[in-house]
Amino acid sequence: MTEKSIEERIIEDVKARFPEDIIEAKVQRKSRISLSVKSEKIYDVGLFLRDKLGFDHIASVSGVDYITMNEFEVIYYIWSIDNKVLVGLRTKIPRDRPILKSLIDLWEGALYHEREAWEMFGINFLGHPNLSLLLLPEDWDGLPPLRKDFLLPENPQEKLEEKIKKLSGG
Amino acid sequence: MSVMKLSMGPQHPITGHFRFILDVDGDLVLKLEPDIGYTHRGIEKLVEKRTYLQNLPVIERVNSYCDSLGTMLGYLEVIEEVMGLNVPERAKYLRVISAELNRIASHLYFLCLTSVATGLETMLMWPINDRELILDLLERLSGQRITYTYQTIGGVRFDMPDGFKDEALKRLDYLEKRLEDYYKMLVHNHTFQLRTKNVGILKPSDAVKLGVVGPNLRASGVKVDVRKDEPYEVYDRFDFLIPTGKNGDSYDRVEIRLKEIEQSIHILRQALKDVPKGAIKTWAPPIVPKGEAYSRVEAARGEFGYYLVGDGTMKPYRLKISPPSFRNLIALPHLCRNVPLADVPIIYISLDLIPMDVDR
Repeated sequence: MTEKSIEERIIEDVKARFPEDIIEAKVQRKSRISLSVKSEKIYDVGLFLRDKLGFDHIASVSGVDYITMNEFEVIYYIWSIDNKVLVGLRTKIPRDRPILKSLIDLWEGALYHEREAWEMFGINFLGHPNLSLLLLPEDWDGLPPLRKDFLLPENPQEKLEEKIKKLSGG
Repeated sequence: MSVMKLSMGPQHPITGHFRFILDVDGDLVLKLEPDIGYTHRGIEKLVEKRTYLQNLPVIERVNSYCDSLGTMLGYLEVIEEVMGLNVPERAKYLRVISAELNRIASHLYFLCLTSVATGLETMLMWPINDRELILDLLERLSGQRITYTYQTIGGVRFDMPDGFKDEALKRLDYLEKRLEDYYKMLVHNHTFQLRTKNVGILKPSDAVKLGVVGPNLRASGVKVDVRKDEPYEVYDRFDFLIPTGKNGDSYDRVEIRLKEIEQSIHILRQALKDVPKGAIKTWAPPIVPKGEAYSRVEAARGEFGYYLVGDGTMKPYRLKISPPSFRNLIALPHLCRNVPLADVPIIYISLDLIPMDVDR
């Protein structure tokens, strides 16, 4: 019998602890794990990953807009310094009700990442202390720009000139 | 106690394209809130409208004037992983050589900014002068001084010109000797030590919790380097060390970059010696199949993460860029609590944040 890799052992542990809530768990390649969980359980699975399996270093929080399926996917990428494994903790939430529990209690470094996902996709992170515009201009009034139904203006120059005119009062 | 709100930047010579909103009580900074986004170009949206190949110069501009080759490498890694593309050996070596040269150039630029913040003008002139030697090497390799677009999907665009190897080795020898001067002038300088030691101490546990990456994390004593943890390209073939700091203060963050230059020189010597003969590029299809991947590379400022979702067309469905400066930014408000106002520039510069990299 060949010995199980660290990736497989981690998946087994998570599945044993959350038999109901893991939708899909797979080893993508060496040191890459993808864990798809139910959105209401993301905090609990995250807590287990951090405290029991050593996933301590947050890498990224990414939203993806699957507009044809009418849902957002939110992916937390977390690196384990000791085990040298990156887990993609992912969940799907409906596009018309994009609400998710914030994970900044678990990984403080998610603060700006979540704020960015909020302004770029409009995903509401419950419990986040400051969901305000981070990168976008402060007078932004359009849709969250990384949504697929946000279209780039055909003539950005015209739009800019209009704005300058408005600002200069003419 | 009377708290005053103070706005620092974005025209301030130290902050660059940032603005800090400070709560100050006299000279004491109680709280710092960074206001970013002045150089936001919407790169994550722009790349969805262009083909993978057209995106190369766009991606490079995530961090163009300091470390464009390290930035680009992550994007290529992630595409090649989804494609399942094998890059020729020689191209891998050339990628490592160019990326390490760029790392040295970036760290030299950092040293010059540090000297401005600490008022040591000589060390502004020396590294910026020596950086030109490296940029000149990169120009011989790629034809450009700053934005190279040297690496491409499936390899690199140009081979080494004649005499490049000897010239590179000569300049590395010079730079290695020159580092001694840097140590004398900056690191062992008493004024500099007084100014940076015990300023902005980042504890290892905090650094991990906040998700700080790169030299800043290693300066706090946490040994994390993607080149060792998950060797990409041919980094597993070279013998090099990961320098770490002890206290995690601004002084350590400066010193560690000098040590990293030494290690980069060491890697470059091995790479230049071993570079094999062969093709520099393999044919890459313009279409990336359906699939996704997350790549990590160690750029000069730390770990770059790219998450790509391909949908079987010529354009990416989603490309999430997780740049090192954006991840290090959170350390700034953390460190700037109850510090004198004069320490804010030192802490900011020692974290080596690049506004373009933060904003994308």
